[in-house]
Amino acid sequence: MRRKLFLVAALVVAAVAAMGAFAKSASDPGVTSRTVTLGGTFPLTGPASSYAPIPSGMAAYFSYANATRGPDHKRGAGGHQIIWKFYDDAYNPANTVQRTHQLVEQDHVFALVGGLGTEPQQAVRDYLNQQKVPQVFVSTGATTWGFDHAQYPYTFGWQPDYQAEGALYGRYIAKNDPNAKIGILYQHDDYGKDYVAGLYAGLGAKKDQVTISRSFEVTDASVLSQILDLKASGIDTFMIFATPSKTIATYATAAKVGWKPKNIYLNSVSGTQTFMAIAVKLAGAAEVDGTISAYYLKDPANPSWANDAGMQKYNAIMAKYLPTADPKNGLYLYGMAKAFDTVEALRNTGANLTRANFVHTLNNLNIKDNPFALPGVVTKTGKTKTGKIDAFPISQVHLIRFDGATQQWNPFGTTIDPRGK
Amino acid sequence: MANFIQHVVAGLSNGGIYATLALALVLIHRATGTVNFAQGEMGMFLTYVAWSLIYSAGITYWLAFTITLVIACLDGAAVHQVVIRPFERRPELTIVMVTIALLLILNGAAGWIWSPQEKFFESPFPLDVITVGGVVMNAQDLGVIGVSLACVLVVFLFFRFTRAGLMMRASAVGPATSKLLGIRVALMLSAGWGLAAMLSAVSGMMAAPVLVLTPNFMLIVLTYSFAAAVLGGIDSPWGAVAGAYLIGVGISLLSAYVHSVGPELQLPVALAVLVLVLLVRPAGLFGRVVARRV
Amino acid sequence: MTGRAVRGGTLLAALALAAFLPAGISHFHSFQFAFVGIYFIAIVGLNVVTGYSGQISLGHGAFMAIGAYTTAILSHDHGVSVYWTIPIAGIVAGLIGFAFGFPALRLSGVYLALATFGLAIAIVLIAKNYAFTGGGGGKSLTLPSSPISGLSTNVWLYYLVWGTALLMLLLAWLLLRGSLGRSFRMVRDAPIAAVSYGVSLARYKTIAFGIAAAYAGVAGALLAISIAYVNPDTFPISLSILLLTGAVLGGLGSLTGMVFGALFIEFVPLYAEKINNQAPTVIYGFILLAVLFAMPYGAAGLLHQLGGRVRQLRPKATKDPRSE
Repeated sequence: MRRKLFLVAALVVAAVAAMGAFAKSASDPGVTSRTVTLGGTFPLTGPASSYAPIPSGMAAYFSYANATRGPDHKRGAGGHQIIWKFYDDAYNPANTVQRTHQLVEQDHVFALVGGLGTEPQQAVRDYLNQQKVPQVFVSTGATTWGFDHAQYPYTFGWQPDYQAEGALYGRYIAKNDPNAKIGILYQHDDYGKDYVAGLYAGLGAKKDQVTISRSFEVTDASVLSQILDLKASGIDTFMIFATPSKTIATYATAAKVGWKPKNIYLNSVSGTQTFMAIAVKLAGAAEVDGTISAYYLKDPANPSWANDAGMQKYNAIMAKYLPTADPKNGLYLYGMAKAFDTVEALRNTGANLTRANFVHTLNNLNIKDNPFALPGVVTKTGKTKTGKIDAFPISQVHLIRFDGATQQWNPFGTTIDPRGK
Repeated sequence: MANFIQHVVAGLSNGGIYATLALALVLIHRATGTVNFAQGEMGMFLTYVAWSLIYSAGITYWLAFTITLVIACLDGAAVHQVVIRPFERRPELTIVMVTIALLLILNGAAGWIWSPQEKFFESPFPLDVITVGGVVMNAQDLGVIGVSLACVLVVFLFFRFTRAGLMMRASAVGPATSKLLGIRVALMLSAGWGLAAMLSAVSGMMAAPVLVLTPNFMLIVLTYSFAAAVLGGIDSPWGAVAGAYLIGVGISLLSAYVHSVGPELQLPVALAVLVLVLLVRPAGLFGRVVARRV
Repeated sequence: MTGRAVRGGTLLAALALAAFLPAGISHFHSFQFAFVGIYFIAIVGLNVVTGYSGQISLGHGAFMAIGAYTTAILSHDHGVSVYWTIPIAGIVAGLIGFAFGFPALRLSGVYLALATFGLAIAIVLIAKNYAFTGGGGGKSLTLPSSPISGLSTNVWLYYLVWGTALLMLLLAWLLLRGSLGRSFRMVRDAPIAAVSYGVSLARYKTIAFGIAAAYAGVAGALLAISIAYVNPDTFPISLSILLLTGAVLGGLGSLTGMVFGALFIEFVPLYAEKINNQAPTVIYGFILLAVLFAMPYGAAGLLHQLGGRVRQLRPKATKDPRSE
């Protein structure tokens, strides 16, 4: 009896599946002549919820794009109104997988855009590539997104990767301060280790300049013993590779033990103005002053951009679509910059908007006019001389230095390609 | 040596944060016979209240601190009256589940009201550094140690020398007898909850400048405080306080000098202490061994 | 009609519904119901330790993690077929649970809750710190795929999970209807009487803990297979809290009530999130409070009452600890 039921059930299922396959053949899911549906998962709650502004920033820019005629005189992305759906995954891969299935199988999105977190996005990478759904501009700087593009052709990173950033600091120190005595404090996970590996690579022959390297766990209540060790070692160049709240704690703890190393380098993820302002309040301006980091986007908290057209556009969009949010939070701008590149890529795909064509566009990106990026920063992919696809979309960064008195990051020098292309 | 003393001072500072919360846990355990899993979240929520007073209402720190303590006292008593008392005669499991429900509500509500983004919460103590014989000490650590010791002292004096304190102790130890003696037991137990809420608010406000204010920031403190309370004896206020300072200093020294333990395993070490003590001496170092129902 | 016949009929209807469900819902919903089945297996286990032997476990997610990692390591590093890893995961988690329960049996009520709370937090840190688990980056498994042509992967997962769930439910029923179940209930409700009858409290509490862990291990294995990925963030302390909440809502001591608990865990966040991102946690809390207050025997108890068969589901549970 049970067996028969099972057979019936299986037959019904097969029939439904066949009908589904039939209906699908006309065009790719998520695209109609008037709309394109995009989706993403983000930690709106839980341990990583400080990144929650990113999808809101993206939503604001998509709304703006939907209401504004682009260079092709069409509203939205090449005439398609963008429908943006994002869900909370609380940074838990089990949720990311379920929510991503929901976006693909129930909401029928055309592509996943901006999904946040290295591990959550790794958890859905196999599935999305199997389903041939583009996984675009993930919000993580792990090196794997660019390195493993050949294996995962539907997956694209966006921001400069952590290793490259670490290497950038290494090369900068090796060139400008070859006798530096270097100490490292890093988060004891893949994220922190990526930076450390990059730093060593960048230092090259100078890697023996690293005198001490200490790590911490995100759950540690304090980083004091690490700071005391670092202080006692007499280093003059201090590398901080941490997530925002531990970075703040690091500055505060260093100030508490009366230690101010000559040079401090800080990874870009933790360097947004919001976090730096907290660090200044907790540790004092003198402690944070002079910190060097790298960034590729404009800082909405820095008044020197007040007359910049891109920043004015940003502020206008914020005022219209997110009137209650704090526009000085750089994560909104990060979301907008990402949404800008997404709209450009969709528009450049042209009239025949299919997933395959979209991926082709993404493999040949060259976006030079992102109004939210620092001057000279381009979003570029394409074949390298060796014939492989360079899948690191944003490669240029500016070195920036923090001014404790005005609480601003100021770019210095020219754009640098940390991957040394 | 100077380094050693620095680690001890830092450990005492962390220990002070754990001590206030551990003391709160013990008060609740004595009053209600349960472990309040929501104790950390009560501290977290009240720290957000203080944050609103300072940054939205623009009140000075110590005034906001005082107002928060008053709110905390009322809040703790209200929680006892409204949420805990209806479950008074119910099994232990039910009351633990009630505190877990409270944990969920407070955690979600804080994110809802104040958004889960990191917030800056100031320390009332200056950033000044004091050097005593080569040992660099800072006003913030010393301030936290001072506040925690003051709290412990006030609680001690209150229970030892005031009539209200005596009645509260009586209500916790022998509710039936106390009732016969005309003590309003429920009110006394509510007062105990109020006092515990005040202590957790202090713990939260001391921890927030170090850990950065988010809805989850007290979970780590709660875990260490559990270990501290169990180590000292969950029925012994002084044991819990001593346990907290022991854990604070012990972890600080361990991560400084035993590199195989490393800073990555700080929390597992504290949890191992918790489990070991529970197995070897469930009453804790300073608790009385009570014959318990199997 | 006797009560037995009614119950038999209800059971058959439930089985038929479970068997046909994927035909009536979308593929994605089949996927969701597969997760309902995973939570169901986990809280059936939790029900053994909490509902039948009266111990509070806040560390059930830790045993799910052990099961999930067993599956991930065996299939990823040793090429074992994922299906074989399901019983192995159950056995591994069960043995570890037994070993943990062995000392833990000496802890009553609140103390065990504390110890298991510690375990749930520690397991995440331990998994992050050792190489064999893949550290924070975790381990990827091969994507699940249906071995039956014409059956979609999601529907296959549904049948895999619910088939296992049925087996596990049967096992639980067999275990709990006999002398073991009687002993468990005795340990829970009348520990002193149990001792005087010669029932070893320690032994039965340990067995209960081991059984519960084995169920969690099987659930963890199925979770790893379904999401094809395992890392420490998959098993936060909130998972353990959620599982206990689900078990209480379903009605501790009732096996069928666990279905409601599992449905709750899977679906409430999806709808609550529409109110506010933070709403699910708050709503969980309030529903839990309401259930504890108004229907102490959970959804299962409510069903019994609606059926006009108000009866003592279980004798008056543990006494007020202060009355001693």
